[in-house]
Amino acid sequence: MKKLKVADINVLIKYGYPTLIKQAEAYLSDFDKENIRISIPDEELVRLQAENPHLSIDDVEYIFTGAAFYESIINFNGFLLHSSGVCVNGWAYLFSADSGTGKSTHTGLWQKYLGEDAAKIINDDKPAIRIVDGKNYVYGTPWSGKTDQNLNIRMPLGAIVFLERSKENFIQPISAQDAIPKLFQQTLRPRDPAQMNKLLDVLDKVLSETPLYRLGCDMSKEAVDLSFNTIRRDK
Amino acid sequence: MKIKEGFLLRTVAGSNIVVPIGAGSIDFSGVITLNEVGAFLWKLLEEPTNKEAMLEKLTAEYDVDTETASKDIDAFLAKLREANLLDD
Repeated sequence: MKKLKVADINVLIKYGYPTLIKQAEAYLSDFDKENIRISIPDEELVRLQAENPHLSIDDVEYIFTGAAFYESIINFNGFLLHSSGVCVNGWAYLFSADSGTGKSTHTGLWQKYLGEDAAKIINDDKPAIRIVDGKNYVYGTPWSGKTDQNLNIRMPLGAIVFLERSKENFIQPISAQDAIPKLFQQTLRPRDPAQMNKLLDVLDKVLSETPLYRLGCDMSKEAVDLSFNTIRRDK
Repeated sequence: MKIKEGFLLRTVAGSNIVVPIGAGSIDFSGVITLNEVGAFLWKLLEEPTNKEAMLEKLTAEYDVDTETASKDIDAFLAKLREANLLDD
């Protein structure tokens, strides 16, 4: 078993395949008592791989340990948002959409046009959001989808943006009522009523306090100018 | 009639939303958003009731004439039946 600190949570975890070894390296830590224990037995990994033959056993370990972590984070006032998160000047902005829409492309364009020193990817696919001491934070985690782009840091949550492809660039604020169905498409939905209630408690606070937007964009610099200048919190 | 088992009505960031839980999440994977009257009617339907009782409670709670309230209830029930959310 290894010890990781992820999103300020002590995670005691069993793993041994290359992807997670590499991804988890920046999160290695030490503590006396764990908050979460993640241990998928070897025979379970084999069974899961047989069920998902397009995945390697390395993929299976990476994906299912991540799923276990994000199921547990609900007990720590947190949730997963399937999104690409970019940090600029002390704020994190999350761009959420179905896979293949272009959320990583958009945050990659932020890096291209604002500079890689100014715009850093906190997690390219699965950032964690947690309420800590009454504040809403985005955390990097070892689980960042197909890319290794994640940072072991936390940043105040600046905005959540639901992204879609469009030939015309546009951005508009949306209500929590409009955001909630979109958000539920991009998080893990607990079936257990008590867990669902906890998730809704967290969403109640986070969505009340966070600017929410809908962005339609292409791959131009104009798209970056529009989204950055509209949602930035560092002015 | 009554709302099927497996749904949770909550206020989140000022919006009334219904999410499936437990058995409800097998058949229904969406999220329902309700306006104020919709949430009021949904709560009535969490216990077995009938249209007459709903009409009485709706007109007592809101400043609405019986005819309009009756149409509103019919429309709401039709939507619930369409989504297969109602046990008759």
